[in-house]
This record gives sequence, structure tokens and C-alpha cells, in this order.
Amino acid sequence: MPQTLKEVDVVVIGVGFAGSILAKELAASGLKVVGLERGHSRHSVPDFQAPAIHDELKYSIRKGMMQDVTREAMTFRNHYREVALPMRQWEAFLPGTGLGGCGVHWNGQSWRYHEEEFIYKTHIEQRYGKKILDPDLRIQDWGVTYQELEPYYDRFEYLLGVCGKAGNLNGEIEAGGNPLEAPRSREYPNPPMKEQYSGALFRKAALELGYHPFLQPSGNMTRPYTNPEGMTLNPCAYCGFCERYGCEHFAKASPQTVILPVLMKNPNFELRTESQVLKINLDSTGKKATGVSYMDAQGREFEQPASLVLLTAFALNDVRMLLLSGIGKPYDPTTETGVVGRNYAYQTQSYVPTFLGEDVHLNSYMAGGASGTVIDDFSVDNFDHSSLGFIGGCYVLCGSTNARPVEFHPTPPGTPRWGRKWKDAVRRHYNHTAIFNLSGTSTSMRGNYLDLDPTYRDAWGLPLLRITFDFPDNDVRMSRFVTHKASEIAQQMGAKTVVDSPRTGPFTTTSYQSTHNTGGAVIGADPSTSVVNRYCQSWDVPNVFVVGACNYPQNSSYNPTLTLGALIYWTADALKTRYLKRPGPLV
Amino acid sequence: MTKIHSTVRAMSVLSIARVFAAVIIVASYLAAQTTISNKTTPNESQIAVRIVAEGTTRGAVACARCHGFDGASDGSGAFPRLDGQSAPYLADQLRRFASGDRQNALMQPIAKALKDDEIGAVAQYYAHVHTVPLPSRPVPAQLRDRGKQVAEVGDLSVRVQACESCHGPNGEGEPVSGVPYLGGQYSHYIGVQIQMFRQGYRKSQQMIVPAHNLSEQDITAVAAYFEQAPRPAVK
Repeated sequence: MPQTLKEVDVVVIGVGFAGSILAKELAASGLKVVGLERGHSRHSVPDFQAPAIHDELKYSIRKGMMQDVTREAMTFRNHYREVALPMRQWEAFLPGTGLGGCGVHWNGQSWRYHEEEFIYKTHIEQRYGKKILDPDLRIQDWGVTYQELEPYYDRFEYLLGVCGKAGNLNGEIEAGGNPLEAPRSREYPNPPMKEQYSGALFRKAALELGYHPFLQPSGNMTRPYTNPEGMTLNPCAYCGFCERYGCEHFAKASPQTVILPVLMKNPNFELRTESQVLKINLDSTGKKATGVSYMDAQGREFEQPASLVLLTAFALNDVRMLLLSGIGKPYDPTTETGVVGRNYAYQTQSYVPTFLGEDVHLNSYMAGGASGTVIDDFSVDNFDHSSLGFIGGCYVLCGSTNARPVEFHPTPPGTPRWGRKWKDAVRRHYNHTAIFNLSGTSTSMRGNYLDLDPTYRDAWGLPLLRITFDFPDNDVRMSRFVTHKASEIAQQMGAKTVVDSPRTGPFTTTSYQSTHNTGGAVIGADPSTSVVNRYCQSWDVPNVFVVGACNYPQNSSYNPTLTLGALIYWTADALKTRYLKRPGPLV
Repeated sequence: MTKIHSTVRAMSVLSIARVFAAVIIVASYLAAQTTISNKTTPNESQIAVRIVAEGTTRGAVACARCHGFDGASDGSGAFPRLDGQSAPYLADQLRRFASGDRQNALMQPIAKALKDDEIGAVAQYYAHVHTVPLPSRPVPAQLRDRGKQVAEVGDLSVRVQACESCHGPNGEGEPVSGVPYLGGQYSHYIGVQIQMFRQGYRKSQQMIVPAHNLSEQDITAVAAYFEQAPRPAVK
């Protein structure tokens, strides 16, 4: 028999960026908030301490900060007519676990989206007509606009202390920034990171070709910074251990460095780690959540009653929790009915390995997670697609996030995969190779979706999430076009060998591409094509809010975190100023 | 001693004449416990030995007056030990003294009087001197333990990361990237320098927050811990 606990006002499922910020805002408003985190508690000191934290085997190869795949896997197939099989190892993407969530092991790449992305369907159809869209693409508008989210982007940037240079300040183009960015209301809180040598070479070549290079905005600090919550961060040491690692320097913006200490001090908040939520409980009408059921590390089951449930886990797990709890109608790709799991998208990532001469010493190990030089000229809809036959695009970034010895050993095509010749090639190219990173849009498609697997179950006996995904032809065409443009820049840099390697299908889970899984619990104005309304509130169960990258109707070129931050504060505001005064549907 | 002799052999006859006296002094100071490896180019080591022993005609005082020929200084902690210190670090600090970026009334005129190649030469000289350390002063166990904790683990309550996150295990430093060693450095010197960072006489983005957040007691503790930590091996 599960033990029923004393009722609280709010229960938060997953204590990462979304969970900790929403919990902090609501606890500060006087509500009793319980945060349920399935992973361990962890803090900058002592858990991310050097030299132990710089253990590539533990964190990069064995994925030490990720969801335990032996207890909770996911299944995958390319097409809904295939049988999905469980992933036994994380490779393509890395769902984090533990206090702070992915905010601990992210790279700090802090992008805003463009204005037109929030009205993507309207914008694309207006600019190009409906014919540019392949028939099975399902892009849509967000139901919330950039202008509405701008103050919340701003607030999140100042919470993190994002380091960058404005390129468009209230419509005025600023020198040194990204001239193509959406207008921002004020300058970044901190100056950009130091440019890497490969980035400087890229900048020169990109300028020669008429593009607009700039330093990417970073969540890793460039100077001591005290955020509006009173949390002080340290400058980054450029050690090259961001992505997949925690930061020992208090230099990376993460829940631990920007908000958790403030939240933990509030007596209205209680954190329970190693608490695996099994489902959100509904009353007999199915229209109201009564709380959640969870199991602790000892296998004891609890029911935590609450009047408000905030679902703030990893994007994929948010969708799974909705499906496990029977909130919203599951999507069916054959009939195109239902919404939960619909519009799952990913990131169309490609790389251009650029082998420079042996006299060019890049020292790429001196890197932050977000210290690249970028052009935005081929992102999303920053270029004219009318004669191209596809929509979307990529940003093109040069600069490393690391050159860690176990993971980074670029070799040119034709090199054996092992043995003395491989070692010789690694030795020869290690310090002279720049890898361009192209982060591309992922267009939602009818057949790409999430549901529960009919066969495989997790350690608690619950069905695993099933991912059905392949790259839409549109995105493959897009990747071919932009990757070729990037290769031209690489040639301009004077590379000896350039590997023009666009993304091609089928999608496979066996090599790392991106952890930017989006969609499945999409935001929107129409309940027949979205799971949550414009305030991230469930259409079906109004006392459940879902805030995550699962809200994105399609995926942008850009890394999702900053837009998630804008949605978090936007939702927090709607909760505090409207929902708490009159609980019920906000739309 | 054989290494010193080989260095001497490498010098031109003229130079030998000019620095002969200096070498005698160097040799007597170093005795049997110090060696200088000849990794520096002959010309650079000639320049360095002369400056260390005699100073320069442009007004730089001989380094050895305070820091000794072996870089061990006088042990009071008023002067840091320089032996085996990172050459890029030493050169960077001399340039900062010269520019006033690191404020020090004693060092500024000396550093200003040194030309850039002389700075490089002197930095190389001390980076390659190896001295057997003197026995360190006894420290109460409680103080040393607290110092070890701050150095190796940090303290979440004041948001200070482990010193060794940058300064390396036992504070042995990162010679190539210019992170100075702290292991075996005089505790009084370390303590004063943290105060210098705190008060802005020394500028380092990385040191601002730790210097501000550590308590006086923790500064003493961490300095005491590092004085007792083993000296890095000269590479």
C-alpha cells in the first residue's frame, strides 16, 4: 500500500533548470513546494571536484551523468511499421539525470530563437507559399510570440550571466555582435568569451566570403558575475570539460550555480532526491490532477497529494509521464489524431572536419563549451529559400568545445580505424584539425512521434518510451546545401583536406549528434494540434503544467536551453499573476 | 656542479671574463644542493646569470639580493621562492610589475628596468633552478587539516572551489600554461598574496571570488597547508 503524505500546494517533477526556477518562484510566493528528483543530489563542491571530474572514461564514455539505461531505457525505430528495440547505451543523445538535470552537463550555448520561428507556419507560407512544404511536414506556430517572450529571455540571460555581444539592440544593429539576431532589449550581462585560434581563422575566411561572423553567446563566465538572485559565478578557465561534465569552478551557469542555493534556503521548499515518479494521479473525472505517485530509493511507494503539478523533467520523459498518466490523447500517425507524442523533432547536425597544415597549431583543448565563432547567415530562414526546395538551415560554428584526449582524434578519410597507421594519423592531425559544427533545424513530420512501447518495460514495470524518427527528406536536402557552404569556408581557410559530410538518413542512435530532443508535448493555440496552451498548461488537465523542450512544435537551428528559460519565466509569471488568483484554464 | 660547468663551457671567452666573478658567487651559493639545468640557450643563460648576480646597467637590482641564486629567497616569506616556478608565470608577473597591473613598490622599478628578452631570460633561469627545500615550520594539525580541505575540496558554504582545481594536486602548478605552484611556497607569502588579490593590488579574474570569500582564518590555513605540501619535481 502506498503511503499517503501530507498534501502540499505544488509538486515539481524533475529538478533541473525548469524545476528549480519554477519551484523558487512559487515557494517565494508562499506556496509549499516539493521537488521530486529521480537522481542524486549533487553540488559544485564537492561533487564536481578536479581532478576526479575530468574522468573521460566515467563521464564521456560511460555517460556517468546520464539516465541509468539499465533501469530506464527508451526504444527506437525509424518508421512506425518497424519494431522498435531498446537502446542499451546512450550515444546519439544524452538524457541527464540528477539534481540540476542537463543544466549540469550542458555546454552553455545560449541562443535566442528568431522572431519568425514562433510564427513559423504563417511565416513560411507567407514568404514562399504552401508549395515549398513537402506534404508530410507538420510545422506550426507556437501560439506565443517572440515579442511576448523577449522580457523572459532577458530575465533568463541575466540569471545565467550569458556572455556575448548584442548584434541587434532594440532594432539598432550593433558592431561586433550577430547582426541577424532578433532584437534584444538590452546588452548581454557579460562580454563574450576569448576567441579560439581556429575561430579566428574561420572569422577571417567567413568575412572574405561576405558572411557575418561573431562569437557565440556563452553560459560560461568571462568575469566574476553576481546574478539578480545574489549568486556569484567565477570566470571560466577554458579547461575543455563542459559538455558531459560538471564545472568545478562555479563558472558554468547551472541550477547549482545560479538558483538552487536560493531555493534550498526557502523553508517552503523541500527537495526529495532519488524519488522516481511513477505517474500523475487524476481524480475520477480525469480532468484534475490530485498529486503524484513515486517510489524512493528503498522501494517504498508514496502518494504525494498536491493541488498543482509541474512536469519539468527531460523533454522525452515529460512526454512519457503524460502518456503513463493518461493526460491528453496519444498521437496516432496513421489517423493523425491525438496530440501527445506528436511533432517529435531532433537536430539535423553535421560536421565539416577541416585538416589544416601541420604548421597551424590550434591548441583546441583550450576551450569553453561555448567559445566558438559562428555565422548565422544560413540559420532557419535567414536566407532566401524560394529556389532551394527546402526550408530551414543551420548555424555554422568553428571552434572546439574540447580536445579531450580519449574522445578527440580526428583523422582524414582513408585512415585505418586502429593500429599504427591510425595512431600516426592522430598524432599528425590532433593539433591541426578544426571541426565545423553545423546545428540544423529539424522539421516536424507526420511519421515522427513518441508513444509507449508495447513490449519493453523499465525497472518499475512501466512501459518504456518508444521513439519513431527518421530525417525528413527536407532536412537532408537542407543539410546538403548548408554543409557545402560550410565546406567552402573551410577551403577558404586554406585547409589541406575538407570533408564535406552532410547529414544523411537513416537516423541512427549509435553515434552522438545532439541531445536536443524536442516536441511531443507541443505548445499552441489549437488543442487539436497541441498538448499545452500558450502558458504551457495542459489543455486536458488544467492543474498540470508541462515546461520543457517538449513544448517546441519543431526544432530550431539553435540549442534549446535559452528558449526553454524564456518559457520557464513566462510560465512562472502566468502562474503567479493569473493562475494562483483563479485556478483553472488560462485560455 | 657538472651542469654548471657545462653551462660555463658553452659561454664565449669574453662572457666568461665578464661574469667570472658572478659564477663564483653562484657556485658558492648553490653548493651541492642546487643544480641549474642548461635548457636555456647559452646566450639567454649568460644574460640571466649576469642579471641575477649583478643586476643591469639600466638600474635593475640583482635578483639574488632578495631571491638568492637558488631562488629560495630568505625564508621569511616576505619574498617568494622562485626556484622551479613556471617560466611563463614568472615572465608574466615581471611584465605586470612593470605595467603596474601588479602593484609592488619594490618590484616595479626593477621590472621596468628589464628589457623584454631579459625578463624572459631571468624567468628561464629561476624556472630551471632546483633547490632542496628547507624543512617547513610546524603547523597545528587542525589548521593544516582545514587548509587541506579548502585546497583539495573547497567549501560550498562560501562558494569557493578547491584551489587544486587550477593549481593542481599538492599545488604543483601548471608550468606550461603559467599557473604558479603553491606547494612548498612560503605560507606568509601565499597569505599576503591572497590579501593582495582581495584588495585589487593583484589582478586575476580567477582569484577575485576565492580571495573575497575565504575567511582570514581559512587564508592562514590554506597557506600553511601549501607550505607543507611537497615541492613539484623540476621537469
